[in-house]
Amino acid sequence: MSLFKARDWWSTILGEKEEFDQGCLCVADVDNSGSGQDKVIVGSYNGYLRIFNPHPVKPGDEVQPEDLLLEVQLREPILQVEVGKFVSGTEGLHLAVLHCRKLCVYAVSGTQGNVEHGNQYQIKLMYEHNLQRTACNMTYGPFGGVKGRDLICIQSMDGMLMLFEQESYAFGRFLPGFLLPGPLAYSSRTDSFITVSSCQQVESYKYQVLAFATDADERHDTEQRKLSSGKRLVVDWVLNIGEQALDICVVSFNQGASSVFVLGERNFFCLKDNGQIRFMKKLDYSPSCFIPYCSVREGTINTLIANHNKILNVYQDITLKWASQLPCIPVSVKVANFQDLKGVIVTLSDDGHLQCSYLGTDPSLFQAPKVDSREINYEEMNAEMKELQKIIREATKTQDILPESEKQRDVTVTAEVSPDLDEESQAIESEVKTGAVPSLTVKITIQSRVKAQKPCLAVCVQAPLAVTCDQFVFDDLEPDSSETVVLSVFLKENCSPPDLEGTCMVSYHIPTGIPRVSQCSFSLPLKLVCFPAQPSKAANHKLTIDTNKPPISFVTIFPDFVDPSEGDQANALGFQFLTGSKTTLLASKTSQRYRIQSDQLEDLWLVTKELIHRLQEHFKKQNCKDFACTFSGSIPLQEYFELIDRHFELRLNAEKYQELLSERAVQFRAIERRLLTRFKDKTPAPLQHLDTLLEGTFREVIALADAAEENQANMFQAFAKLKSATHLVIMLISLWQKLSTDQVAILEATFLPLAEDTQELGWEETVDAAVSYLLRTCLSKSSKEQALTLSSQLSMPKDTSRLKKNITLFCDRLAKGGRLSLSMDSATQPAAAMPGGCATIPESDLEERTIIPGSTAVFASHGQTTKQKSKP
Amino acid sequence: RPRSAPGPGRSSRGAPAGEMGLEPLFQAWSYFRRRKFRECADVCSQLLERPLGEQTFYFLLILIQAAWNLKTRALTEMVYVDEIDMDQEGIAEIILDENAIAQVARPGTSLKLPGTGQGGGPSPAVRPVTQSGRPITGFVRPSTQSGRPSTMEQAIRTPRTALTARPITSASGGYVRPGTASMITNPDGPFINLSRLNLTKYAQKPKLAKALFEYIFHHENDIKNALDLAALATEYAQFKDWWWKVQIGKCYYRLGLYREAEKQFKSALKQQDMVDTILYLAKVYLRLDQPVTALNLFKQGLERFPGEVTLICGIARIYEEMNNISSAAEYYKDVLKQDNTHVEAIACIGSNHFYSDQPEIALRFYRRLLQMGVYNCQLFNNLGLCCFYAQQYDMTLSSFERALFLAENEEETADVWYNLGHVAVGIGDLNLAYQCFKLTLVNNNDYAEAYNNLAVLEMRKGHTEQARALLQTASSLAPHMYEPHFNVAILSEKVGDLQRSYTAAQKSEEAFPGHVDTQQLMKQLKEHFAML
Repeated sequence: MSLFKARDWWSTILGEKEEFDQGCLCVADVDNSGSGQDKVIVGSYNGYLRIFNPHPVKPGDEVQPEDLLLEVQLREPILQVEVGKFVSGTEGLHLAVLHCRKLCVYAVSGTQGNVEHGNQYQIKLMYEHNLQRTACNMTYGPFGGVKGRDLICIQSMDGMLMLFEQESYAFGRFLPGFLLPGPLAYSSRTDSFITVSSCQQVESYKYQVLAFATDADERHDTEQRKLSSGKRLVVDWVLNIGEQALDICVVSFNQGASSVFVLGERNFFCLKDNGQIRFMKKLDYSPSCFIPYCSVREGTINTLIANHNKILNVYQDITLKWASQLPCIPVSVKVANFQDLKGVIVTLSDDGHLQCSYLGTDPSLFQAPKVDSREINYEEMNAEMKELQKIIREATKTQDILPESEKQRDVTVTAEVSPDLDEESQAIESEVKTGAVPSLTVKITIQSRVKAQKPCLAVCVQAPLAVTCDQFVFDDLEPDSSETVVLSVFLKENCSPPDLEGTCMVSYHIPTGIPRVSQCSFSLPLKLVCFPAQPSKAANHKLTIDTNKPPISFVTIFPDFVDPSEGDQANALGFQFLTGSKTTLLASKTSQRYRIQSDQLEDLWLVTKELIHRLQEHFKKQNCKDFACTFSGSIPLQEYFELIDRHFELRLNAEKYQELLSERAVQFRAIERRLLTRFKDKTPAPLQHLDTLLEGTFREVIALADAAEENQANMFQAFAKLKSATHLVIMLISLWQKLSTDQVAILEATFLPLAEDTQELGWEETVDAAVSYLLRTCLSKSSKEQALTLSSQLSMPKDTSRLKKNITLFCDRLAKGGRLSLSMDSATQPAAAMPGGCATIPESDLEERTIIPGSTAVFASHGQTTKQKSKP
Repeated sequence: RPRSAPGPGRSSRGAPAGEMGLEPLFQAWSYFRRRKFRECADVCSQLLERPLGEQTFYFLLILIQAAWNLKTRALTEMVYVDEIDMDQEGIAEIILDENAIAQVARPGTSLKLPGTGQGGGPSPAVRPVTQSGRPITGFVRPSTQSGRPSTMEQAIRTPRTALTARPITSASGGYVRPGTASMITNPDGPFINLSRLNLTKYAQKPKLAKALFEYIFHHENDIKNALDLAALATEYAQFKDWWWKVQIGKCYYRLGLYREAEKQFKSALKQQDMVDTILYLAKVYLRLDQPVTALNLFKQGLERFPGEVTLICGIARIYEEMNNISSAAEYYKDVLKQDNTHVEAIACIGSNHFYSDQPEIALRFYRRLLQMGVYNCQLFNNLGLCCFYAQQYDMTLSSFERALFLAENEEETADVWYNLGHVAVGIGDLNLAYQCFKLTLVNNNDYAEAYNNLAVLEMRKGHTEQARALLQTASSLAPHMYEPHFNVAILSEKVGDLQRSYTAAQKSEEAFPGHVDTQQLMKQLKEHFAML
């Protein structure tokens, strides 16, 4: 992150697809012009050697052809270029070029032409050394304190230091414990070579020691060589820095003590001559190269460090003085003097971007992209705003989340239930105990008029029913195409279903990306869960339904259950449920009555429903409009309450199990913790049967969990029964009081909440809240009752007496002529309604998003919370 | 020696240079230095697969070792994350923490009791708090989100939102991802088969062992093997290499053996002062809930390494966590004196100014961040708020517009809409505010603050039941906020339900003991009760 960018003074791109690295850049007055003007020497891994003399007319100018003094191809990769006094007998600067297996020293000279572009430059090979080993990098300096000339030390890839005294080869030494080459530097003050070894240590070797160690080249016997060189070559000092280093520089400014700068992969070190840390800085970026360049203030040294985030940082010791943005990641950075300009930063990137720049207060060119801003037409916007607000108002008024969709739907889904049971049952993993479980095929067809993307069909039937496959994913539907799937429905768990309805739902995206849903429901025939059986006379529960028409023969209305051979005299019909219980249907011969009887209250429901449904269908066919069923007996509340109690008892059990489980879990963790401390202890202490205790507790936990699971299964069954009975009660109440469909809907909403039956929020408290709400509002006797406050937090009641009392009261009030209606109190919202986050809101148009390159900074962005002030 | 299976052939970019006769090992070495790890690993793989021959056995061995070492390092660097920044505390660690020293810590010595700060921490009325009761910081770090629930049950029941302080289910949570890297980088199987590795042999080769350790620790994420190797290696080095001690400490820390880790780090520090070691040791102390010790350690470290940014920043973070905001701000300023591009420091000082009613100054800090190239939703969000409170209304909406434009996920969008709702409340456009808060909930429907504010708006409209339901949702989503409770108290008091008002006020007081309005309400209610 930087505020400014480096100002471009002169820049060029070298070659095409050439590679460069750390050693490839050198800055010096290589042609000995004497003007103090530095030239930029660049060698590439592709073997090109280039020398530049940048002198733009004004900063940022294009490169002039005459800026390139020289370009030669040397046929071999150039690993490193250095300039020094490499030729004996002269103090002039010469250019040393390191190839893989060769070291060449050239003299660079220029001939003045008449005009500037007439100048000619050439290089002349002074001498070359062929190397026995692959070179890696080199360093130079007045080794051994010689005056006026520079010696060269080359490090090979396998760890040999080869020293050259100008035209002659002096000696070679293997570094001990070598694996991979590290950076190499020469400290003239201590006359030693400093490198970072593979052991992540900074090591310093005295030139003297190197010179007197056994010559490595004399012995090619590997074993011996290892021994001898390892013994003799003694390291001067070692500092363990715990990381690999990228580069080493040894500098001393103003006659001050010289410092060894080491750029590690994660830290930046400054060492004293004796290898102690003067200071270090932890870098929070990956550095790429560095150079300590001068000392501005006494006792401090300024350093340039470039990093892989393309930022060049200027440090004074460890204080950041400046940061500027570079156009690319440099692999090498130098400071040079050109023309009248001193201290130009020369950077070279690994793909050949050579730049001379200076620091300046040009802002780093980051411009926030423009947000899509249109010309604002206030009139149009006003109109749009009004339109939108109208829509919002409409939407909030109707409380409907989506507007009723178009007349013809884009995608329609239809379900076709086959009239007959499958010949071969498709039921899988059914838990029903009695013999074969029949299944029924449902064919679902999706028809699409438009292109529907990612259509996905979900088929849902209420447990204990199940389908063979409930999820289908299709490829995108083309316009006017259709898909058909076939699946089977069967009874999975061992209890009778509370209803025989199923729904299927298709979700898809229209091409503009808006998700849509279309659905349909289907009802399953009764014979899926029961089959005809012998009617039985005796039963615990009996219901009598009155009609206003003469009785119809069962052969007519239950053709699928009556054996035709029995003739149309049959006035008794038996239904045997798959789960084992039996229900009998009797038709009175004389009166217009039907009787349904069974041992279980909940088993009456499906048959009663089927009977009334089929009767209504029958009379509708005969165009008889005034058919009506009534129920005059008392509502079987007592039996109903027993079912409630059964369910509630199981819920209490569940809670008990939960408590026990959490107790045991706490115990288990406590033992675990103790064991952990035991095991962590340095002096092993006896376990004192903690392990047995752990084992025991573990078993208890598992046993409890099993019991809880079983309880849950029981509870599920009990709830299914409760639901069946509730359906029955609702139906009886509506027949009894001849309620309209609206009122029946209210009843259903009251007694059959959509919410799942869970431990935290169960059926009992939900129904209790709903019933008492009705009692308090439309069924209230006096205004006094209306003020009765409800506990707003629904929680599991201690017992069901209150619920029973309320339900009884509810039936009483209905009997006394109470009317179910919600219209009178539409102004106040029901107390139990929890606000969802999905109230009617116009679609926000925020699909357009841009991906921003990850920034590390994340800010908390909460504002404050408004609060209501109290008024004293 | 383990060999890598042939990797997918990715042609290296530097083919021409290679043709020129560059030594492959040199090429790989150069790639590594330029952080082109993928290319480096590929070249090394080729080297390792090359048929034997040509050279003598000894040189071959050296070459293979070097290539192997380089590849190990390259693979490690690809997935390297500084261990100091990794800080995730899972439920298991919190529950099985047996390092607690005192059940009830003395004020100012623990991070567990956020209210114990003495240096004038801001009140929650001014600055929102996180779930663990700390003021919201200006910069999200892994550790700022950790809360310390007291029981397992509570930990699990903590609302599941990404923005709140829910601990991760297990220590493995965040660490798993780096660990799976081995599968991704090498589809044909891991480069090094740890189970077949003879650790003793490697421990005796320090030059290979260090790279191998980092590989096992960072790339394979196999702490136990790493610890074994480190233990053997430090023994081989006769306990003289501080680096191995630090590594053992890192392993111990990961394994939850904090006291042992502390010993190792201390021993390492005795041998060699290093910034990293200090940071690791401080991290151990923080995990042991000894912030004062960590502070002292940092201060000692600063004497050795004056001006080290990471150390100063560490001090500032601790002060911030201990609710000592003014000291934290001082140290953040020190950070900026050393490194004026430090984003965290700028952001924290900015948010501090914002919450101490100096939005103009906060604006300058945020603008600085913008100039430095931070360009994200959060920043514009903050800029928008600052502009609003600094009464620069013209910039407010365009900042939020940009923030919406930059939002990367629905949580961020929700934040922006929430703040827009604030602005709307501020300018009195309650309709707009209502819609903004609704939009907030559309984008993130467990935004407790939005529920609360929506409830306040409903209350103004006179829909008390609706408001009550909204407030209930708010308080169940964010039990640490006092506002919903307080609002319920006021609401109930207005409709005459004094009992409920009293219970709600009690809850509010629990969440924010120093809230004056709550106290007044309580007093008033008590008078009422006394009269009855």
